[in-house]
Amino acid sequence: MELTEELKTKMIEVLNLEEMTPADIADDAPLFGEEGLGLDSIDVLELIVLLDRNYGIKITDPKAGKEIFASVRTMADYVAANRTK
Amino acid sequence: MIVRKIGENIISPLGFSVAENFAAVMDGRSALQRYDHLWDLPFPCFVSLLADDILDEVFAQAVDQSRLPMKSCTRFEKIALLSAAKALQSTPLDPSSPRVLFMLSSTKGNVSLLADAAPDIKRVTPAHTAQLIARYFGNPNMPLVVSNACISGLCAQIEAYRCLQSGQYDAAVVIGADVLSPFIVSGFQSLKALSDEQCHPFSSVRQGLNLGEAAATVVYAAGEEPNGGWRMLAGAMANDANHISGPSRTGEGSYRALMSVLQSAALTAEDLACLNVHGTSTLYNDEMEAVAIHRAGLSGVPVNALKGYYGHTLGAAGILETLLTMHAVEQGVVPATRGYEEIGVTMPLSLSSSSGKTSKTAFVKLLSGFGGCNAAAAFTFDSCR
Amino acid sequence: MMRYEVLHTVKLCPSYLEVDGNRIAEAGGETSFLTDLYRRLGLDYPKFFKMDILSKVGFLASEFLLEQEGGERFVPRADRAVLLFNRYSSMHADQTFQETIAHPEDFYPKPSVFVYTLPNIVTGEIAIRNKYHGESNFILLPEYSEQAMNQAIERAFLAPGTTSLLTGWLEALSENEYEASCSLITVH
Repeated sequence: MELTEELKTKMIEVLNLEEMTPADIADDAPLFGEEGLGLDSIDVLELIVLLDRNYGIKITDPKAGKEIFASVRTMADYVAANRTK
Repeated sequence: MIVRKIGENIISPLGFSVAENFAAVMDGRSALQRYDHLWDLPFPCFVSLLADDILDEVFAQAVDQSRLPMKSCTRFEKIALLSAAKALQSTPLDPSSPRVLFMLSSTKGNVSLLADAAPDIKRVTPAHTAQLIARYFGNPNMPLVVSNACISGLCAQIEAYRCLQSGQYDAAVVIGADVLSPFIVSGFQSLKALSDEQCHPFSSVRQGLNLGEAAATVVYAAGEEPNGGWRMLAGAMANDANHISGPSRTGEGSYRALMSVLQSAALTAEDLACLNVHGTSTLYNDEMEAVAIHRAGLSGVPVNALKGYYGHTLGAAGILETLLTMHAVEQGVVPATRGYEEIGVTMPLSLSSSSGKTSKTAFVKLLSGFGGCNAAAAFTFDSCR
Repeated sequence: MMRYEVLHTVKLCPSYLEVDGNRIAEAGGETSFLTDLYRRLGLDYPKFFKMDILSKVGFLASEFLLEQEGGERFVPRADRAVLLFNRYSSMHADQTFQETIAHPEDFYPKPSVFVYTLPNIVTGEIAIRNKYHGESNFILLPEYSEQAMNQAIERAFLAPGTTSLLTGWLEALSENEYEASCSLITVH
C-alpha cells in the first residue's frame, strides 16, 4: 500500500474518524482548522504516538508537529525521510 | 452560618503536619527531584515522592491497624487515612457523630492496582477508600468522593461549605489525596504536559508541570459567629465550555468562578493578601489564569503558586495549597513562587520568586482542570477577640 | 427539604432508551446501540466517536433530555449546572489506558484515552456541546443512594445563579454494561 493510503487508514483508526474512509481524505487537505479534518490538540498527540509506534519516529515537541501534520502528504514525506522501522 | 476551620493536616515528602510543611516552604525547600528510571519508565521525570519507610513508621504510630478490615493498606489508603487521623487528633470533634460528613477528593485513588494480575476492582474505586476511612472513625454516613479532576480539592471544600451552610451537617472532614504511579505519570507524559526539570510557574522558560504525592485534610465546622481563626467565605465553580483538555483562551470559567466568589464574599482587590493560583507551569494553564485575573481587574493583587515546592498534587492540591496559604497569610507573608523566573504570560501579574509581606487577612484560591472545570474559593482570618 | 420540579427524565441501558417513562428505542440492530442512537438523533458531531463509553452514554442521555426540553439550545448560559454520580468512576477508560502501558515492549500510553480517565470529562463534554458555563461536578459514592444524591442536588442549588440541573446516575463499565438514569430539574 502507498504510504499516504497507509497513513490515512491508520489515522482513521487511532483518531476514531468513524464516519470517514481513506477516500474522504485528500492528500493535501489541511488536517487542522475548520476547513480540513478539524483535528484538535489531542489528535496531534495521537499522531505523534502513531509515528512513534509504527515508524519509530520520536517527536518531543508538539509544536514541531505543526508542519509535519499539515496534511497527509507532509506526514508521508516526513515519515519516508525519517522512519527507523 | 459561619464555616470555620477546626482541624488540618498535610502529609507530604516535606513533612507530616501543616507546621512542618509550612516551615519547609518558608525555607524554600522542595521535595521535587529528578528520576532517570523511575519504575522503569522510558523517560526521565521530575516528581515529588513520599518515602515508604518513613510513611509506614508514622502510619503505624497514628493509625490503629487492628481497626482496619484488611491486613495491609495501599499507599493511597495510608496517606489518606493518616492525614485524616492526624487532622482529627487535634480537634474536639467526635468523628463518629451522624452530624459529621466525610469527603474525599481524589483524581485516581488506587488506580495503580489495575496493574495487578487480577485487580480488585471495588478497591480501585475512590469511594471504597472513602468508606474505609469513614468506617475507621465509626462514622455512620455514606461518604462521598469529589472527582472533578484537578479542582477536586476545592470542589470538596465547596461541598463542605454548602453542607454546613444548609444545615445538612455540622462538620465535614475533607481529605484530599493522590499518589503517583506509572499510570498517572505516563498519562501526563503522553499529553506532553510534564517538565523533566523544576517547573517554572508563569515564566517564559516554563515547559510543563511536575507531579507530586501528598494528602491533606481540612476539617470545617459550622458556628454562629466568628471566634478567631480561619473562615471559608464563599466558593464557586464554572465551566469553560471550550475543550476537555485545553483551558479557555479567554479564561472564561476561571474568570466567572473568581467573580462569583468576590461578589458572594463581598471582597475587592484591596481586601486580598494574595491570589493563590493553580500555576501548574504548563504553557496554557498559566496563560489562561493570567488572562482570567486580568479580566477580573486583579492584576495588582500579589499572586503566588506552590507547585514549585510540591509539584501538582492532584486531588490533594486544593486542600494542601489552601492550608499553606492560610498559614502564610496568618503570619503576614505571601510565599515566594518557587521556580518563577521572568514573566512569560501576556498579561501583567504581581508575582515574585521571593516572599512578600502583607497586612491583609483574606485570600482567594483558584484551580482549573480537565473537563474545562474551574473553581475559586475565598477565605479570611479573624483575630481572636 | 428543598422542593424541585423534575422537567424530564431519561433512562438509557444496553437494551433500551426511555424518555419521560416512554420507551423510545430498543437495542437489536447489528451495530452498537449507542451508535444507533447517535444516528437516530441525526447529529453531525464527530467528537462523539472520540468519546469513551462513559461520555458517550452521558452525552446521549443529555441529548435526549434536551431534545425533549426543546427551546433554544447552544446559547451560552450559566444558570444550568451538570452534576453526575456513579460508583466506578472512569473505570472503563482506566482499564483501557492501563492496557496501553502494561507491556514494556509495546509501551505507548494513549493520550486520547488518558484524557477520559477522569469521570468529570463527561460533564465537560455536555458543557462544551451546550455552552454551559455553570457548575460542573462529578461525585462518586460507595453505592447508589437517592439520599446522598438528593443532598448533593440540594447543595448544587445553593450556588448563586444555578436554577436548573442536568443530573443523575451515570455508570459505564463496558460497551454492554452501562446505565444512565438522569433528569433535568429546576427550582422555582
